[in-house]
Amino acid sequence: MKEEKKMEKVKEERVTYSLPIGPQHPMYVEAENLNVYLDGETIVDVDINVGYLHRGIEELMQRRNYLQNIYLSERICGICSGIHSMTYCQCIENLLDVNIPERAKYIRTMVLELERLHSHFLFLGVVGYEIGMDTAFMYAWKDREFSMDMLEQVSGNRVNYAMPTVGGVRRDVPNHIIPSMLKKLNHLEKRTEYYRKVFLRDRTIIARTRGLGILPKKDVERFSIVGPVARASGLKIDVRRDTPYLKYDDLDWKVIVEKAEDSQSRVMVKVLEIFQSIKILRQCLKKLPSLDREIKTKVPLVIPKAEAIAITEAPRGELVYYAMSNGTDRPERMRIRTPSFVNIIYSLPIILKEQQLADLPAIVASIDPCFSCTDRMTLIDTKSGEKKTVDETYLKKLGERRLK
Amino acid sequence: MIFEILIYPGFVFLVLASMIYYGILRKVAARMQSRIGPPIWQPILDFIKLVGKEDLNPEQAKAGFTFWPFIAITSVLIAGLLTPIAGIVPLSFTGDIVVLIYFLAFGSLAVYLSGFSSSNPYGVVGSMRGLIQMIGYEFPFIVSILVPVVAAGILSPFLINTLQVHYGWFGFTFPFAAIAYFVSILAKVEVPPFHTPGAHQEIVSGYSTEYTGTRLAMIELAHMIKLFVLISLGIALFFGGSADILMFIVKSLVLLFIITLARVLVARFRIDQILKFTWFFGFVALIDLVRVVLIL
Repeated sequence: MKEEKKMEKVKEERVTYSLPIGPQHPMYVEAENLNVYLDGETIVDVDINVGYLHRGIEELMQRRNYLQNIYLSERICGICSGIHSMTYCQCIENLLDVNIPERAKYIRTMVLELERLHSHFLFLGVVGYEIGMDTAFMYAWKDREFSMDMLEQVSGNRVNYAMPTVGGVRRDVPNHIIPSMLKKLNHLEKRTEYYRKVFLRDRTIIARTRGLGILPKKDVERFSIVGPVARASGLKIDVRRDTPYLKYDDLDWKVIVEKAEDSQSRVMVKVLEIFQSIKILRQCLKKLPSLDREIKTKVPLVIPKAEAIAITEAPRGELVYYAMSNGTDRPERMRIRTPSFVNIIYSLPIILKEQQLADLPAIVASIDPCFSCTDRMTLIDTKSGEKKTVDETYLKKLGERRLK
Repeated sequence: MIFEILIYPGFVFLVLASMIYYGILRKVAARMQSRIGPPIWQPILDFIKLVGKEDLNPEQAKAGFTFWPFIAITSVLIAGLLTPIAGIVPLSFTGDIVVLIYFLAFGSLAVYLSGFSSSNPYGVVGSMRGLIQMIGYEFPFIVSILVPVVAAGILSPFLINTLQVHYGWFGFTFPFAAIAYFVSILAKVEVPPFHTPGAHQEIVSGYSTEYTGTRLAMIELAHMIKLFVLISLGIALFFGGSADILMFIVKSLVLLFIITLARVLVARFRIDQILKFTWFFGFVALIDLVRVVLIL
């Protein structure tokens, strides 16, 4: 005990200055604040302040009916918009205890995997950008366009796909787009092979990723860190395998695990997952023409009192939706637990300790943080330090003030 | 003389050519990254825009904040006048290569001091990194310059230039020194992998974070002129010299293309990695220096 205190004192003495990173900083696309305590350029400690993007979505969901909530849940995150609306629909279907048609399951799986592709390519680009290699950023985002194009072919939209609805999907995938999608998948597979080589062998990339940002396996288990970050530390967890949903148990794919626990292994997990996604997509596209045309079952939208939960694997890890109905057309309670929240809050202080400030962006990017889905649940007023509840009237007031 | 100092290859030519060269660098890099990229005269437009913008003076800034950017640009311009461009040196005297080295170093130093004087944490960290980087690259830079100087026995880049035009490339005779010189060009103008002092993702804009308007334009321009001067000095010392403008343009564009390749192909080094890397090339250049001394 005494020694621990002594250690803490030594640590405090080591801190020469603190550097605020964010809420506005070129490192982030979204607003978030990291207060970094530095000894020269070595990071001694990190304070994480989340909450700049809070929108009170859970509260808003309880004021809307089950159909309106599909659109709201889709707007929780800009990158993984599909997985949010699908998990929401799955949760409501669990409330109702209905089964959706086979074809709808395949289409949902396809959209989810296409989203994983685009999210992982985005991640590769961001990592390249953060270590100062703009070319990797440009290349990865150019290839990301192919997955966005495929999403557009399937759903007509590039960002918010609006594919699922309670009881199925809203649009069918016509047979004539399948050949062109397969062609694009072939191209993406070739490019991913190239990225695998680059991120594994390029000297300058290795210098900025290998052996940095170590996240030990025992910390992963202790803080229940999820998704690719956990898999990169050697923990074999994947909701798609552990509690299969949609068609994942019928398809042939495997969980990617890396053992190195560092930034590079987190990148490699995602690169290798792209191959698995392409594999899943090929199987779905092959299966699709032989299936029945039915894509939606009719469901009642006034739901008797019940509770349900839905768990899925988002591109960044385990996503949990909890819903409670009260016999009306609105949910009594919605609760959402996003993967980035766990990954940011618990893993960042561990992996940033004793690293160089120069490595901070690359390490933060390597856990692929997504702040907008994190901030749905925390609210801190940073100016006065007090905590406030943002409700609809407050937001409306803000909106009215803006209009004047 | 006056024409040479003011127009060609003096101030006007230096400023315009270095802007165009930087534009070419940006355009070629963009094409390599499968982007369209800005037009090659974009740096000129940027400069005009910046000069027209408001000059903000932050409260916490120290006195040097107002003048260091101008000192930076003055010193790199003087360095430009001492460098042979297309076989002409506007200002020339015995021993001017020493002065040239000083002015080039002072150009970088003034930029970093401007970062310190802004008192912004990002600016200070950027300048600190810049100074550490200087410790790294000045060693290979000076050692590699010493090689042709000792070999020729002259301290004037102009005479070394003419010597090369008549007797062949120093770059072939002393390949190690030429490589080390090239690496120190990259480090001096903060081209990847050496763009650590102004690393956007880590410290916003580094030393120029607090700067706006004319003074920011000066810092940017000093950066571009430094690139151009270092390329022309490289041609004069290692890459066969240049007797006429055509030769100069061909050689400098080839060098610029190689610099662009470096900019596109590599990721950013950390500051400790930079020191290791540059000092390694310093010792590489020392091989040639030892050779020269032993032969003579």
